[in-house]
Amino acid sequence: MTNKNHAEVAIIGGGIVGCAIAYYVAKAGIDCMLIEKGDLASGTSSRCDGNITIVDKDPGFDSLMSLASQELTAELEKDLYLPFEYRTQGSILVCDNDAEMEVANEWVNIQNQAGLKFKLLDHSDIRQESPYFADDIPGGLECETDSLINPYLFCYSLIDRAKEYGLKLHTRAEVKQVSKKEEFLIETTNGSFTAKKVVNAAGVWAPFIGKMLDIEIPIKPRKGHIMVGGRQKPIIMRNVMEFGYLMNKFQRERIADPETLKHGVALVLEPTESQNFLIGSSRQFVGFDARVDFNVVQTMARRALRFFPKLDDFNIIRTYTGFRPWTEDHLPIISAVEEVPGFYIAAGHEGDGISLATITGKLIEEMISGKETTISIEPLRYDRFKRKVVHM
Amino acid sequence: MDRIVICRCEEVDLEEIEQTLINYQCSMREIKLRTRAGMGYCGGRTCRPALNAILEKVSGEKQPHQIPLKVQPPVRPVSLGRIGETNYE
Repeated sequence: MTNKNHAEVAIIGGGIVGCAIAYYVAKAGIDCMLIEKGDLASGTSSRCDGNITIVDKDPGFDSLMSLASQELTAELEKDLYLPFEYRTQGSILVCDNDAEMEVANEWVNIQNQAGLKFKLLDHSDIRQESPYFADDIPGGLECETDSLINPYLFCYSLIDRAKEYGLKLHTRAEVKQVSKKEEFLIETTNGSFTAKKVVNAAGVWAPFIGKMLDIEIPIKPRKGHIMVGGRQKPIIMRNVMEFGYLMNKFQRERIADPETLKHGVALVLEPTESQNFLIGSSRQFVGFDARVDFNVVQTMARRALRFFPKLDDFNIIRTYTGFRPWTEDHLPIISAVEEVPGFYIAAGHEGDGISLATITGKLIEEMISGKETTISIEPLRYDRFKRKVVHM
Repeated sequence: MDRIVICRCEEVDLEEIEQTLINYQCSMREIKLRTRAGMGYCGGRTCRPALNAILEKVSGEKQPHQIPLKVQPPVRPVSLGRIGETNYE
């Protein structure tokens, strides 16, 4: 008889990462439970956009990991029952000026050499993407394999299927204490549970879970704002981001106004299946203060209007904020923890949680099952921060 | 009885909301995300009281753990141009 309050593997956190882990672990036939303090997808995963992108990733490990995630997501579309607004139309980056255009050209060459499907776009290509674009955009680039999903519907869909594979789900169970003797004891506001292995997939809240086992996890909340535009006319078919914020990766200076740089604002415009559109983005370290900051929203609006001046009479119906789990080297921690055998961390994806959720779920399942992993997990190790082998 | 529309912006009817509540035993926030009721142009200003009333009816009582529907700015839709205007203050 299976015990409702015991499992081989307990996953803490019902965001997109925890849900993906639950899916792969349950599918592998391992007895597992998911423990979530609120509702499914009630934190960062319902306060973000829905990009599964390579277009903004460094060539090499980062882009390889995203590509693996894209391939897994395409497979999931066949195995999951509940639709999650999966759209595979690629995505584009737009340049603000000729200096960016020059670097974009290099970027496309590097990505093509790595075997990824990138293409440079000129002024007239950009015009064809959307009639709302500014006339002075010099061009941009495209990544053909990028896709969009609805993150919270994806969570619901993963859990729906995971339950069929045997997952036990405990929501509104906030973890108050985790201790380990022979097995882990997890005390929550909605019952106590035992498990042989624990996966900490609590995102920005992962450090709190780590602390309960004296494990320091170097993740900080990085706040991001999003505006939702109402259904009016179709603006564009696929996701747009600006190239500008990649300039830093090339150690070149980004040319933008002081407010834009101060609030870490970069254009993201995502058309949603509901025919609304999302406008981002901002990046700020302000602790867990979730209030919408009007100065940031205004800066984002101005940035959007620089690229889409003809959207000035489109209505914004909602604004919200979410906390991205930031790490020093911008890679997630997907790792066993040597100090506490049986304890795993899968957190710290910052703005890539949607992009990397499926590969994260698959890797954790492979680590738990003792299989060879789909991609190398060396750069994702927890102890990289202590060994000072963080690649910046 | 004819179809009763609860959320006019997203065209969500009573039956779909009740069925989702029964299937998932979830909070009103999750009902909103699963059905889009209250996520439209009016920001839920029209249907929020009705949604909360349905939750109470189906669950039989006020849920002590329920996650209430929040209200997000702006209070009413406002154009992107107006938000971006300089000298707003």
